[in-house]
Amino acid sequence: MKLTVNGVEHDVQAPQLASLLHVLREELDLTSPKAGCQQGGCGTCTVLVDGEPRRSCLLPLAAVEGAAITTVEGLGAADELSPMQAAFDEHYAAQCGFCTSGFLLAGTALLNGSPGATREEVLEALSGHVCRCTGYVKIVRAVEAALHGEVHPERVEASFEPEETEVLIPGSPA
Amino acid sequence: MKAVGARLPRYDGVAHVTGRTTYVDDVRIRGILWTKALRSPHHHAAITRLDASKAEALPGVHAVVTHEDVPKNVYGHLEALGIPADEPLLAENDVRYKGQPIAVVAAGDEDTAREAVELIEIEYEERPAFFDIRKALDPDWPQIHQWGPVYPHFGPHNHRRVRKGNVDRAFDEADVIVEGVYRPQAIEHCPLEPQTALAVPEADGRLTIYSCTQAMYFSMGVVAAHLEWPLNKLKFVGGTVGGGFGGKVDTATETICALLALKSKQPVKWRWTREEEFLASSTRAPWHMEIADALTNDGWILGRRMLTLHDSGAYARFSPYGVTKHAFHHTGAYTIPNVHFDGYVVFTNRVPTTAMRGFGVTSVSFAVETQMNRIAEVLDLDPLQIRLKNANRIGDTTANRITLKDPSTVPVVLAAADRIGYDLPAEYRSMTSDRRSGELLPEHLVAQLGVEETSGNGGGR
Ligand code: FES
Ligand code: FES
Repeated sequence: MKLTVNGVEHDVQAPQLASLLHVLREELDLTSPKAGCQQGGCGTCTVLVDGEPRRSCLLPLAAVEGAAITTVEGLGAADELSPMQAAFDEHYAAQCGFCTSGFLLAGTALLNGSPGATREEVLEALSGHVCRCTGYVKIVRAVEAALHGEVHPERVEASFEPEETEVLIPGSPA
Repeated sequence: MKAVGARLPRYDGVAHVTGRTTYVDDVRIRGILWTKALRSPHHHAAITRLDASKAEALPGVHAVVTHEDVPKNVYGHLEALGIPADEPLLAENDVRYKGQPIAVVAAGDEDTAREAVELIEIEYEERPAFFDIRKALDPDWPQIHQWGPVYPHFGPHNHRRVRKGNVDRAFDEADVIVEGVYRPQAIEHCPLEPQTALAVPEADGRLTIYSCTQAMYFSMGVVAAHLEWPLNKLKFVGGTVGGGFGGKVDTATETICALLALKSKQPVKWRWTREEEFLASSTRAPWHMEIADALTNDGWILGRRMLTLHDSGAYARFSPYGVTKHAFHHTGAYTIPNVHFDGYVVFTNRVPTTAMRGFGVTSVSFAVETQMNRIAEVLDLDPLQIRLKNANRIGDTTANRITLKDPSTVPVVLAAADRIGYDLPAEYRSMTSDRRSGELLPEHLVAQLGVEETSGNGGGR
């Protein structure tokens, strides 16, 4: 069966009922979609199917025949991050990073489909994606920054000159 | 200190957002085998028959491993500290928690491995299970662990104890006694990355093990112990952990992969399902804590009696260490001159419990801080003032006989008050950690004061 992933057409051998997640990871060696639960509950396996975020662990290969699949490998390379990738990096929205692919693609679909999304719509678009590390605040901040076009990839430079910081503990050595 | 306060890029940030970070499951090795486990369906049972021959004969199966294949099956996570072993890698005569692994299969794909597990013939004789840690010392306790109801190796005692001062006198002299019972429950760490390992037999006879462990050298020691191998035959490769929170300190998958790889002579991966994570991965422990405090009407804590029961699950693992840390912290950030603490590690038929974010300390901090609020309520005093009054100060001696040089209770409480706009009288707002004197040095705190430091080295302010 033919499968188009990140613009490249592949001839895949897996049986029709193999999950798209399995095919992407084990046959095409695209490892950005992760097997967090393999039962539709966590969102780490999310990919875009014709632009829509879908859980690849629940999709049999037969269901995506002829569709265009996008994984994070197809978003932007290290030296040309997409706006959503740059925003996630800038806002520290990836901690352990295991959930990040799913959130990035959900955010990308939102940015492409409804760039004027409200806070509520952002939360709705990200709901069902589980992150155990960040507490979500930074992820929401990153997605909103990308929606508002407030991404500053040039920030990603080491800076060892601290800004003036607030002293949190009175009496602590400044 | 140049990095403090600066906005630094994460060293792995770009790798994360481009999907290039390599977790164990992403390591690409040709021709790997996949693992599935036969796990106990019972909380507690004797194993009366185990025959894996049909599973071994299934086409596509490359290795089956049971307890008989493990050079040193029974292991203790704290053996290096001289604490004896109690937990089998694969169950032998009995199973003591639901989900306990009994046999493992490596096959060309997960479906075949699953099918082979179904073919393993096993019979059980169910035994009564035990869950309520409060009943551990009851006479009708059902035998579930060879060491008895509680972990017995705290020196000469079967519990961790702390004794200081004269607690009976403190309770005799108290105006009020405030009691509290605190029972925080188990928590599953639930990292998004399930437990995963990959063991690769190398041409030189060594094993390379890709691991998601949080504790690389520790895991290496565990695998070497089970295999009875020298460490230099193992090469451990860590990497980014896809969330751990303490749950990836126990060595869950590496040893099994190593044994299957050695038996099949092929690379073997074991990636747990989410169901296995919830069923069989260790959790934070449930605790039962009882505190009684001897108090004066104006809010001084004269003495504390405390009893802690820690649910260790079916085996000891790190629990004795957790209870020891717990004991260190049982007076919280406060100075209590007379204490009597007993902490028990209780065995149950739960999955074994383990570290999670401040092992042993979060539970006791929750109890102590809630107790402080309760004291304030009973005495009708301000909860922050009570904390500041009893706060650790320079020169105070903790329950475990450490004289404090740089305690932070006072500045932290004041900063918290500041942040939430909490009104405190001037004499409290101007408090410092300085050595006690005057009003802050009542009669009952005189004897516990440590010797004044005269030289300028090591601490103080
Ligand atoms: S792996 Fe697909 S939703 Fe969790
Ligand atoms: S960053 Fe670790 S789960 Fe989201």
